[in-house]
Amino acid sequence: MTSTVTSSRPGAGPDAPARLAMTGISKRFGAVRAIRQADLVVRPGTVHALVGENGAGKSTMIKILAGVETPDTGDIEVDGSPASIRGTSDALALGIATVYQEPQLFGELTVSENIFIGREVRRGARVDWAAQHAQVVDVLDLLGLPPRVATATVADLPIATQQQVSIAKALVGNARILILDEPSAILTDAEIDVLFTVVRRLVASGVSVIYISHRLDELFRIADEVTVMRDGATIGTYPIGDLTVRRVAELMVGGILTQEKAVRAPTQDTPALELSGLGRVGAFHDVDVAVRPGEVVGLYGLVGSGVSEIAACVYGIDRATSGTITLAGRQVRPKNPGHAKRLGIALLPANRKQEGMFSFQSIAFNISAGHLDRLSKAGFWVDRAAERTVARDLIKRLAVKTPSEKQAIGAMSGGNAQKVVLARQLVSRPEVLVLAEPTQGVDIGAKEEIHKIIAELAAEGTAVLVVTSDLPEALRVADRLVVVRGGTTTVEFGPDATQVDVLAAAAGHDDPSDASDPEQDS
Amino acid sequence: MTTTAPPTSPRPTRRARVLPPPIAGQELVLVAVIALMWVVLALTTPAFASAGSIQPLLVATAPIALAGIGMTIVIITGGIDVSVGGMMMVCAVVTAKALVAFELALPLALGLSVAVGGLLGLVNGLLIAYGRVHAIIITFGTMNVFLFVGLQIFASRTVNGIPSTLQFFGRGVAGRTLGVPHAFVLTLLIAAIAWWYLRHTAGGRHFYAIGGDAQAARLAGIDVRGRILAAYVVTGLLVGLASCFLIAQGTSSLDQSVGNGKELAVIAAVVIGGTSIMGGRGSVLGTVLGALLVQTVTSGVTQLGWPSQLSDLFVGIFIIVAVGADLLRERARRRRLRAKGAAA
Amino acid sequence: MSTSTQAPTPAGPDPAPRPAAAERGDSIGARALRAVLTQRITLLAVLIVVVVLSYVALDAGGYLTAPYDPDYLSASLINAVPLAMLALAELLVILSGRGGIDLSVGAIVALSGMVFGFMYGQWGWPLWLAVVATAGFGALCGALNGFLVAYIGFPALIATLATFYAFKSLAIVVNQQSPISTPPIQELYSLTRSVEIPVIGGQIPDVPLGIFTFLLPTVLIVWLLLARTTYGRRLYAVGTNDVASLWAGQPVRATRFGAYALAGLISGLVAVVTVAQFASARPDAGVSGNGMALPAITIAVLGGVAITGGIGRVAGVVLATLLIVWLNAGILLAFVGNEGSQYQLLALGVVLVAAALLNGFAGRRYGVAD
Repeated sequence: MTSTVTSSRPGAGPDAPARLAMTGISKRFGAVRAIRQADLVVRPGTVHALVGENGAGKSTMIKILAGVETPDTGDIEVDGSPASIRGTSDALALGIATVYQEPQLFGELTVSENIFIGREVRRGARVDWAAQHAQVVDVLDLLGLPPRVATATVADLPIATQQQVSIAKALVGNARILILDEPSAILTDAEIDVLFTVVRRLVASGVSVIYISHRLDELFRIADEVTVMRDGATIGTYPIGDLTVRRVAELMVGGILTQEKAVRAPTQDTPALELSGLGRVGAFHDVDVAVRPGEVVGLYGLVGSGVSEIAACVYGIDRATSGTITLAGRQVRPKNPGHAKRLGIALLPANRKQEGMFSFQSIAFNISAGHLDRLSKAGFWVDRAAERTVARDLIKRLAVKTPSEKQAIGAMSGGNAQKVVLARQLVSRPEVLVLAEPTQGVDIGAKEEIHKIIAELAAEGTAVLVVTSDLPEALRVADRLVVVRGGTTTVEFGPDATQVDVLAAAAGHDDPSDASDPEQDS
Repeated sequence: MTTTAPPTSPRPTRRARVLPPPIAGQELVLVAVIALMWVVLALTTPAFASAGSIQPLLVATAPIALAGIGMTIVIITGGIDVSVGGMMMVCAVVTAKALVAFELALPLALGLSVAVGGLLGLVNGLLIAYGRVHAIIITFGTMNVFLFVGLQIFASRTVNGIPSTLQFFGRGVAGRTLGVPHAFVLTLLIAAIAWWYLRHTAGGRHFYAIGGDAQAARLAGIDVRGRILAAYVVTGLLVGLASCFLIAQGTSSLDQSVGNGKELAVIAAVVIGGTSIMGGRGSVLGTVLGALLVQTVTSGVTQLGWPSQLSDLFVGIFIIVAVGADLLRERARRRRLRAKGAAA
Repeated sequence: MSTSTQAPTPAGPDPAPRPAAAERGDSIGARALRAVLTQRITLLAVLIVVVVLSYVALDAGGYLTAPYDPDYLSASLINAVPLAMLALAELLVILSGRGGIDLSVGAIVALSGMVFGFMYGQWGWPLWLAVVATAGFGALCGALNGFLVAYIGFPALIATLATFYAFKSLAIVVNQQSPISTPPIQELYSLTRSVEIPVIGGQIPDVPLGIFTFLLPTVLIVWLLLARTTYGRRLYAVGTNDVASLWAGQPVRATRFGAYALAGLISGLVAVVTVAQFASARPDAGVSGNGMALPAITIAVLGGVAITGGIGRVAGVVLATLLIVWLNAGILLAFVGNEGSQYQLLALGVVLVAAALLNGFAGRRYGVAD
């Protein structure tokens, strides 16, 4: 049945006309040049990887292809003829389908219905279920899924299968160019194997796949060619055979950056926070990391490595299923965030809007939330004078730009809002401070300031654990850097680690002889 | 592959596989509960098993089930309509007065009531689809307005001397064929049409998609506003028909309490029938069964000689049990998926 | 307006949203329009003035059946007591977020009223003890709602619909459908009389006693609770964003549970008020006709409480009650017989829909969510 979608097996040789050619693409957002003169050429029947660090311009390129954004300059050709993509429907008509990271499906409808929603095959008044079913079964077969999945309710399916359903949805539209935006981020290793099998089958049937991933080791299993982006520009396109993980990392980073860093020494040798053998079924396992007072430790991992789940466990949002958490020599089991807080842990949540902000409430409200026991008389009456003082102090200390502490946080910029949420963690000086993605969606200026605050806190003796997927940030703020990969802690780097070393380690360095720096054992 | 043996012919098996089973767990449970109650009531009270007891039960189920079909669609889209009681009052009083004044024929009376209901539903639908205000607030408002309109038409007097035009849908002998009440048969017929529409047409499935995620539905090219408008208009039309049943079931007079509190009874039937108040999931079959269950409780409590108001207590308990079971199922589903994810 | 000085208009809690004043050089007129459209309190205050002045004008023109004067306005406040109290109960519950709503308040009033009837009217308990016990009983009923919603995870609409049926049924069955109107209960009617306010009482009209014994204390306590206590802060936090509230280490479930229990407690107090008003503990009080829950929710929404939770102030609810009560009082004078009460329904419905639509419009026009 595989052959029914496309019977021809086009040659993937270098002489074949390009399936997609984007040339001289530029796009500005206000003052920011998101993309500068980028070129991307994808040949038919190949997997073309697009890699780059966060903010390198990958997602903007994808949005332009999907018709979500229109480029300021540049030309797009599909199969040799000029194409104009002005909206999502133009992209679909050209056979360009995008599968985003999070499946966008209707949980209570069946797989078949999800695939055809809004474009049902009709027979008279009713939906022609049999015809839809036949097409869906064919595509599912291509994806290696049994026919019974077609009638399953989406909410009953595991997330990996849901993602395959999204791919199926794209394929039923007769996609010739399939964009997979970090498809592996939410999948387990076994699920990734299935995904790759699917991708290979699609390519064999003539589809061109644009594959975006942070996990560089994957490229060597699936990609034919790699285009590297850096600072909004395409650095170049390379056949996969010419590359190594380390070489890709170097191209992405653009040489070795050295940054001046103050060398700190921990004030005590007993760790303020120590995780040993910590694990949670289905999320991560055997995590070992220790943070001493006065020290900043980075926990660096790519999206989906399990790094964010570790933070949730330390703070009592989830329960660990194995291993121990030790605070200043005392073993603890945080039951919930309130309990973790009483134990002396403060945590800055990763997702500011969903987990951090009370958006239509004031700055003072946002800071005092969670510290009402301290900022009240008899634990009942809010001490509004104390609340105001604390809020004003922190606004000054963190340089929050606002006319008054009464402003609603929802109207503030990302950087200022993040400072307010961070301020909440500093009301009572915490012994242990966990910062999850402390500068996500924050402008450069505020980012600098937040990094400065982290350094100050460490200088005051706080044990700081920075959990992040932003590598330059991890290198910049951390005294020691622990890399999380595949749900567990792997290697540890000292203060003189380079981006290339760490990226290669985190992205799956399969060839240790390639490493120039010795890896330290933790 | 043989095509001779009908039970194993490829056609039926293929058809059976293209869609999920037509009857879900909750509906089977409801059927079982209703059957159990009927058996117990038949054994404990001598009068229950007689036609004289079952027939009024079915007749009384009809208006709630009918309005419930519309309410089910509205709730599937993620909305709600608490103005149903007010709509019933307006439809009933307009129709009753017209019957008295013009001695309308049956089809005209039905048409009038349905048209009035559709008009009121249109008001709700327009305000909700285009006003971008939550349905519960809009329908709280229109409920008061509809009550005002209804009471104005009543003009502080009970409508008396209503001709027996509508007796075809009433409790009496004229309202039955072979012992089966017409009102109930018509309700079942409409429920079947609604069931088919919701299950087999694109328009029907779009109601579910909108309730699941309205934003995603819009991106998928679904006419969200048009569908929402349609849901409230259909509710109005069905309430109009249900109002005729209410007139037919009464005596020759209609007082101002008509429709009183019916919105909550209708919502109760829908919820017991397994439709999720969060939207995106529900069935009209469940709603009809839910209405039947509520009427069985009401009838059973009377038959047992208990105070009739005690039936509301059981309705409350049934709501908790029905929705509670649904919550547990959801929780089990999430746990199962997590376990599956961990095993992989 | 001397009467408007009596309107309790406490300021809302500080964290309530305050649209930033127009920094640009807008004209005074544009700024005033913006304030009226985006700030519910301002809008309600303006509407109250408009309504009262209109009736005074109608009165002067001789269109009303009786004088619409300060005495009448003051006397009509007795209707505000149960309405405002239940609207405050809804305020607490709706604030708690996740589709918070309580359809059962009217049924709790009915059932608690019967319990009060037994305790005070038949068992001869002292009044204070019976009132406290009734409030406690109401809180218990509310706690059942809170348990179902906060701990089990029922949608509030469903949980309170179920308990509405259950409480209503029990209220009627508990005394075989009969009201309790023994002499002690009948004497309670004196609680609803109007009294002269000391010192300044000579200049202003007498005020219904229930305002002082029940309404004002409830308003004051709910306001203090929301604006000044840690519980109030947590309730706004949970209603605004319960995930963030959890991450901030707050007890999300207990906070939401508390809102329902408090709503039940207030409903218990309203039960005492209605028993006194009717001079009888009636099993159908609070659930007859349209019931008490729907008008209370309507008033709360009119007062600017966002159905999505986290937004709403005591002042808005109190002003909305005053608006509706004085609007209704005028309608009774403008129409004869039943017409009046019917036009009250129309007024309530139109005002609610108009306010909700205006909210949406102002939100889009000025980019704020009131």
